[in-house]
This record gives sequence, C-alpha cells and structure tokens, in this order.
Amino acid sequence: MTTSVVPDPSLFPRISTGNEQADEVLCGGFPANSINIIMGQPGTGKTIFAEQLLFENASADRPILYVTTLSEPLSKVVSYVQRFSFFDADKLGTEIQYEDLGAELARDGPAALVPHLRETIQTISPKIIVIDSFRAIHDLSDSVPEMRRMISNLAGLLSSYDVTAFLLGEYTTADIQRYPEFAVSDAIIELARQPLGTRDERFLRVIKLRGSGYREGQHAFRITGNGIDLFPRLVAPRVAPDYQVRLDRSSTGVPGLDEMLEGGIWSGTTTLLVGPTGSGKTTIALRFALEGISRGEPTLYVNFQENPAQLARAMSNFGTDVEHATSSGLELLYVSPVELQIDSFVVELFQRIKTGSLRRVVIDAVGDLAAAASDVPRLHDYLYSLVQHFAVCGVTSLLTFESGLSSTGGDMHEQRFSYMSDNVIQIALGGEERTRRTIRIIKTRNSGHDPVVRELVIGATGARVS
Amino acid sequence: MMQKPSLSTPSTTPLITNDRHVSHNAIILVVERDPHVRDLEAFFLNEAGFGVEFATDGVAALEMARAIKPDIIITEVLVPRLDGLALCRQVKRDPATRRTVVLIFSILAAEGRAREAGADAFLMKPLAERRLVSTVRELLARQAGLAPTTSPT
Repeated sequence: MTTSVVPDPSLFPRISTGNEQADEVLCGGFPANSINIIMGQPGTGKTIFAEQLLFENASADRPILYVTTLSEPLSKVVSYVQRFSFFDADKLGTEIQYEDLGAELARDGPAALVPHLRETIQTISPKIIVIDSFRAIHDLSDSVPEMRRMISNLAGLLSSYDVTAFLLGEYTTADIQRYPEFAVSDAIIELARQPLGTRDERFLRVIKLRGSGYREGQHAFRITGNGIDLFPRLVAPRVAPDYQVRLDRSSTGVPGLDEMLEGGIWSGTTTLLVGPTGSGKTTIALRFALEGISRGEPTLYVNFQENPAQLARAMSNFGTDVEHATSSGLELLYVSPVELQIDSFVVELFQRIKTGSLRRVVIDAVGDLAAAASDVPRLHDYLYSLVQHFAVCGVTSLLTFESGLSSTGGDMHEQRFSYMSDNVIQIALGGEERTRRTIRIIKTRNSGHDPVVRELVIGATGARVS
Repeated sequence: MMQKPSLSTPSTTPLITNDRHVSHNAIILVVERDPHVRDLEAFFLNEAGFGVEFATDGVAALEMARAIKPDIIITEVLVPRLDGLALCRQVKRDPATRRTVVLIFSILAAEGRAREAGADAFLMKPLAERRLVSTVRELLARQAGLAPTTSPT
C-alpha cells in the first residue's frame, strides 16, 4: 500500500489504558467499540491491566461491567484491586459493576453468555464489558461448533452496540490459531513473564491492533502500587529538523589525551573506552565528567559498580569536592547491578537526556548492562538508539567497557559497542607485573588522531598521557 | 445486583418519556439486516415509546413506506436489492412518501452521501441508544414544526 489513510479521529475514538506509556505503544489507546483480547499466563498482570483501564474510564454517564466466569472468583478480583492507588471505592457498584456469571455458565453452558449480555446492554447500557476469564468458557464445552456459534453471536452483539469489550484469558501463543475469538478480535495484547536470574522480567506485546499503527516488540513493565508501569521499547529518534552537528571539541580532562585526539573529541559523539579491570577506565571517566563540570556543562555520571560513597572518595582523591561538583551540575546515578532492569534504566536515561540540559554523559560500564540483559540483541538495539539520541541532543558521551585481560577485542559486545561508537580508545596493561599502562586510539570518526601507543600514567591525583 | 448507574448529570435525556406529543403514534420503519442491531434498535425504540416495523431490504422497505406511511425510516446504507441511499432518494421523490423523515444509520461514514440523497439526518453506528432516541425525537419535533421539549444531547 502506498497511500496512508488518516481516519478522522472523531469517528474512531480511543479508550485509554490509564497508562500513558501503554497508550503510546497503542498509538492512543484501544479503538472504541472494539473487541480486545488481553492474554497471558496466570500472574502476568492481566487483571491489573484491565482494572487500571476500568478505573481510568469509569464515569457517571454509563457504567462498566466486569464479568467473572469460572477461573476468577469475584471476591478475589474485587479484594485484590483495593491495594492499588487507582482504586476508588465510590465507583464500585455504580460506575463499575461486578458480576459473577460462573454458576449460570456452569448450569446453562456457554450459550447462556450472549442472551445475558444482551439483557445487560438493555438494562444498564454498559460502555465497557470485561469478561475474565473468557478462555475458561471453552472448558465448559466439548463442542467446537457450539463455541464457534457462541463467539460469532457474541461478536455480532458486541459490534452492533456502542460498547468496548475486553476478553481476558490464560491463552498461550498456540491458542491464537486455535480459538475463534482471536479471529473476531480487533486487538490482541500479550502479557508475559520471563525469568531472569533471581528475578522475573515482565513484558507487554501488541500482537494485533486493527486499523492502527502500534509499537512493535516487547515492552517491559513492572507492577507497582500505581498499577502497570511500562517502558516502551526504544526506537532510534527521528532526526529533529533543527539537529545540527556540533562543531566544537570536548576536552577529555586527561593531560596528553586531548593532543592525541587533535584537540579533544568531537562534541556530540560517543566514545568507547575499553580496557581490562584495574587499567584506569573509571579514573579517566571521572576526569572526563569533572572536566565537563569545570566547563559549565551539566554532566550525568551513571555507575553500576561503585556506590556513591566510593565514587565520592575517588573524586576527592583528585582534589574535587563532591558537594561542590554536584551543585555545579554533576549528577550521579548509581544503579545496583542486582536491581538493574535494562528497559526501565534506558528509558529513564533517555528521558533525562530529552528533558534535561545535559551536555555530557558517562556510563561506567556498559558491560554491566550487557550482564543484566536477558536479550542481548535488544540491548544492542537500545544502546544504538541511545547513542543516536545522544547525537541528536548534542550530548557528548563516554562509555567504559571492561575487556578480557588479554584485550584481544574478540568479545561480541566489544565489537558491537565499538561499531556503534564514534571513537574507540583502548587501554592495555603490560610489563611483567602488568602494571605498565598503555593507551591507544583505535578510531575517531571524522577526525585524525595520533595512532601511536603511548604510556598512560594513573596516579593518586588522576591520569595523564606521557 | 444489576442496577442503573446513578445519573448525576441531569441534562441526560431520559429514555422513557410521557411526552406523548412527540412520540404518540409515531411509527418507525427500521431497515436493517443485522439481527443484533435490529433487536437492540427495536428494544430501545419501543422502550422510548415508539412503534417499530421492520424491513430487511430496500425494495420491501419502499413498499412498506407506501403502505404504512411511517413517520420515520431509519435505514442502513448496506441493505440488499435497493441500498439505503437509493431508498432515501426514492422516498423523497415520491409525492406519497416525501414527507417521511429519513435517518441514515450506517457502519459507513456516509454523512455527505446521505445529505446528497436527501436524508434528514445521519448517524454512524454502532448503536448508542441515547443518541439514536434523541435524534429521532428531534426529527419528529422538527417535522411537527415544534421545538423539541427536551433538548437532545
């Protein structure tokens, strides 16, 4: 298709999920007057997702109906939802009405559902109907034709009336081909949980959204007291019309290194600093950050290894007063590697870049991100996208990466990170005791550099190239 | 356990009214093929005090329009044999039926084509009973040369 159809938004209103980020993923929310499926294994957050949407959309004009079937006891659904901040007891029984249809369905079979809903439409005019769990209704019938008839009938009823329906269910991916409700649905949202080390990561994925664009892929989320907290997958920025390459250079703050770089690194570029443990990466990274502060450039220093006290000590070794540095524009962001969730971290970083006045960013070390990532290609996508955002926003960044002691450069991440960085600087340890440090510039994009391997001296007060 | 929501907005038009002036004897011909829409339309229009007759295609609807002289025809565009817009044009052309109000009620965004066909009003599906009933009342009031007694929402 070559033409894009832009529908009149007033003709095709949207239903908000109650979560700004989820609405963004859905390009504005669920289409109104649609049939939507929220699928996922038990414990993935389907009910919370639905409840948050209901409380967001509740209003006095027309009620919302939440029907439980056979898997979710009504009392459990209602009592659980009270823990969330979006819960509002005044809306219960009026704006949001709960109904347990389990016994009726068990007695009369799946065919009882549609006449019941028709009567409900005639008596209370609901604007939203949730059926939780819809999949459980399949367990009541061995007859595939009976279920097909019921679902076709249900789709006919729901689409004839001004109502938006959500069918919740413990469906698996294989069920999408098997059950007819997927064919009649306008949107399918999958919630999933994947173990990662000692934690679980939760993801939301749009499988289908009729008549609308949406953000593809897995979007991480957490469940908090406020409901769903979603982190849309990053995509590379559309280049802003006023995006201009900065034509100045940024000093690294390391005496001798700027000279090797023909006067510093191009502002707005990303530099990867690679070296084995103990080679002085953090020292150089701190120098780079403090140099930014001394030039009045707001700087963010992200760190996964040293806690703020350790970092403060390292800085005071350079004669820097941490309090003075932070009041002059240095922001320290410490994230424990144990708590690190890539998606939320990258989104937070991205938002700080977008909204703040940051000119320099240090990530020490990007390898820690790789260790926390359950999905390595996605991490690379994220970092690539982040680097693009740095460039568009004119932020000069330094990423450190711990190489193996041999520093052969054979590491997969190292290759990928080198590829996405504009400049690559490598530190090596040599000599019998491996105490002699050398520094070499491997690449600088759009700039010449000194290709000679030079000695790097790390002392108590900082680093310099001799 | 089911209950009507507390209607805190007094401006909402009540569905059932004793306003016989507008609804008394009013007969509505609904031209609709979808059984779900037909059932709900009948239910809500009956509840609002109107008499409802049905046709499932345009040709039958035209015959009924001449025979029973409904006050309003509510028709979908997509009906067989004679589509809703062609039905509207014929109703408006025939001196015997031209005073009949026509409301096009469709899944198609056909407001412009409805006006061109001479329809008195257009509503887009899905069925929202308050909008439908208030539109019908307004059309009847207009036809009777009277201002609506309750302002439609």
